[in-house]
Amino acid sequence: MILEVKNVRVKLGSIEALKDITFKIEKNEIVALLGPNGSGKSTILRTIFGIIKPYVGAVYLDFKNIEKFDFRQIAKRIGYLPQENPETNLRVIDIVMLGRTPHLNGFKQPSKKDLEIALNALKSVGMNGFKNRKFSELSGGERQKVMIARVFAQQPEILLLDEPTAHLDISSQIEVMELVSKKVNEGLAAIIAIHDINLATSFCNRILMVKDGKIVRAGKPEEVISRSTIKEVFNADVDVKKFGGKIYVVPKMKTRNNKNRLIHVICGGGSGTEIIYKLSEKGYRISAGVLNVLDSDWQAVMDVEGILIDEAPFSPISNEAYEKNIKWIEKSDAVILTNLSVGIGNILNLKAALKAAEEKKMFVINKTPFKERNFVGKEADELYRLILEKSRVFKNEEEVLDELEKIFG
Amino acid sequence: MKLIALLTILIAIIFVVCLSLGPSSVGFEDVIMLLNGKADNNVKYIIIDYRMPRIITSMLVGVALATAGCSMQALFRNPLADPYILGISSGASVGAAIVIFLGIATTFNIMLSAFIFSLITAFVVYKLGETKIGVPIYTLLLAGVAMASFLSGLTSLLIYLSGKEMHQIVFWIMGGFWAARWEKVWFITFPITFSIAYVFLNAWNLNAILMGEEHALSVGIDVESFKRRIIGVATLLTSSSVAVSGIIGFVGIIIPHAMRLIVGENHKKLIPATILFGAAFMPIVDLISRTITDGEIPVGIITALLGAPFFIYLLRRAKVQ
Repeated sequence: MILEVKNVRVKLGSIEALKDITFKIEKNEIVALLGPNGSGKSTILRTIFGIIKPYVGAVYLDFKNIEKFDFRQIAKRIGYLPQENPETNLRVIDIVMLGRTPHLNGFKQPSKKDLEIALNALKSVGMNGFKNRKFSELSGGERQKVMIARVFAQQPEILLLDEPTAHLDISSQIEVMELVSKKVNEGLAAIIAIHDINLATSFCNRILMVKDGKIVRAGKPEEVISRSTIKEVFNADVDVKKFGGKIYVVPKMKTRNNKNRLIHVICGGGSGTEIIYKLSEKGYRISAGVLNVLDSDWQAVMDVEGILIDEAPFSPISNEAYEKNIKWIEKSDAVILTNLSVGIGNILNLKAALKAAEEKKMFVINKTPFKERNFVGKEADELYRLILEKSRVFKNEEEVLDELEKIFG
Repeated sequence: MKLIALLTILIAIIFVVCLSLGPSSVGFEDVIMLLNGKADNNVKYIIIDYRMPRIITSMLVGVALATAGCSMQALFRNPLADPYILGISSGASVGAAIVIFLGIATTFNIMLSAFIFSLITAFVVYKLGETKIGVPIYTLLLAGVAMASFLSGLTSLLIYLSGKEMHQIVFWIMGGFWAARWEKVWFITFPITFSIAYVFLNAWNLNAILMGEEHALSVGIDVESFKRRIIGVATLLTSSSVAVSGIIGFVGIIIPHAMRLIVGENHKKLIPATILFGAAFMPIVDLISRTITDGEIPVGIITALLGAPFFIYLLRRAKVQ
């Protein structure tokens, strides 16, 4: 089984709801459509199921255009669960039996086997004791599990689930996602529209971040989830943490003591990432330079929305950037020189650091001996020695932070 | 199953009882005499040409209105929806009133005109409710309300203009079975049995639609086409009823709802129960209407008097929930 969405564009009324959506899914995969409300996640699912017809592009199920199938044929292979749960007094078993609809003939007389399949589906979600209960009498989590049993009873190859965990408590959320996970491991595929980032990163193999009807990022959770992508898609400030190979996000605490202090960081090659994030957490404003675009420190400064003095990727620092760097050093309340490596390309950063040292506001993080980090030679050795003479020197980031807190905190 | 057997027996009893009761002195022993071929012509006329078509008409109408109501309630997902929701009753009234106003009123003409006008009304309402993405239930509802109000105005105008024929229109609108004849029975038997069979066979899909249109789609039902077909047969049921008996209110709400309380929402059980209860309920109400006074009270008045309090009870209950 392979499902392909190719260059799909959809109009709802006069609004272009989907703009060139393309992706593919095969069995044993859970793909999350992650995005805020109104981003087009539901529209993608409804287009895949054939409810909405794209005006450009198409959805292909095993290389055949979905519009060639009728709803009954689609429902045999795709189990779609709409977001809103029904309000009904039907009994649980009646609802799960409805999942057999596409498999029944015109007179809709279910066989013993259909009943068996429905009961098994109910059992697989742990709700077999509820079969004669009225749906309206169940709790939110129980309702959702019944609806999932209904989709399972359809025996589809692909699951399309629209916000299956919305309005559920945390244990039900996990339960529902685990049920889907288990089913996918048995050889199904699932596309889940979801706005809970942590559920998406924990249970999905791939994440498509959706914004304004477009897929703006696609890939494994750790590839697409970052402070900046979440800021971009959800317009929310979060911290991204890693834990045991999984990635998860937490809301960023509004810093209590928002200090009106500017700290300039001279860094590069990832040597400044830790201190940049920590300074930002403490409420300092940050400027940094000179950094090459796409350097990991550059990314960190972007994340904390600091001021960047940057240079084209893999290019040596120009005089212009150097002058700009000096200007921000002069403006800053303190300057930190990280444990960076020095080469021909960034020796101007050491010169700038010396300027700061002469202004008596230099804090140096000196973790590893400079000779191991020096790829220039004597000139750099001399510069670094002069800097150390006129600066406060620390062994790690924590010490610098403590010192800064003493002065500014 | 038990309920179905019980209702079937009840219908048989009701049939015999209704056949045996009426303002004339013809009674149960005359029915027995008739079965033995010993009755005189007068008795024969009263039982076979008067009471029997009347009872059968009332049963068919009861079944038709109850079933139409039940399907509309599933389609609209609202227990307060009724067979007249698409303006069918107003359309039929205009049809009957025009014929009476023009002075060409015969039993058959009134029936045919009411039937045709109600079909046209339903069709127009459906077209008015249509949008690019299908026929959303709420636009259909609004179109029905608007149409009904327009047509009531038209009916009132015709009543106002028709002078001494006025009472005939008013009487027709009140609804009843006093004019039941075999020709009417033949006229409605086919459309009603066909539509009932259709709804009965689609009970499963009605369950699905009860879950909401999106859910019905998700189990493979072509919702727009199904909606069209259900509205079609419900219209046929209602138009046939209205054509032969005028406007009999509340039956379409009370019966399905009472059955829902007893057998639950599953249409596999609800539809048969509704059909049978409709067949049992209507002849009894008609019996009351023709025996309670010396003359006859239109059935529509009795169902309205019984139905309105029930309707209010439903409203109150919905509010509590």
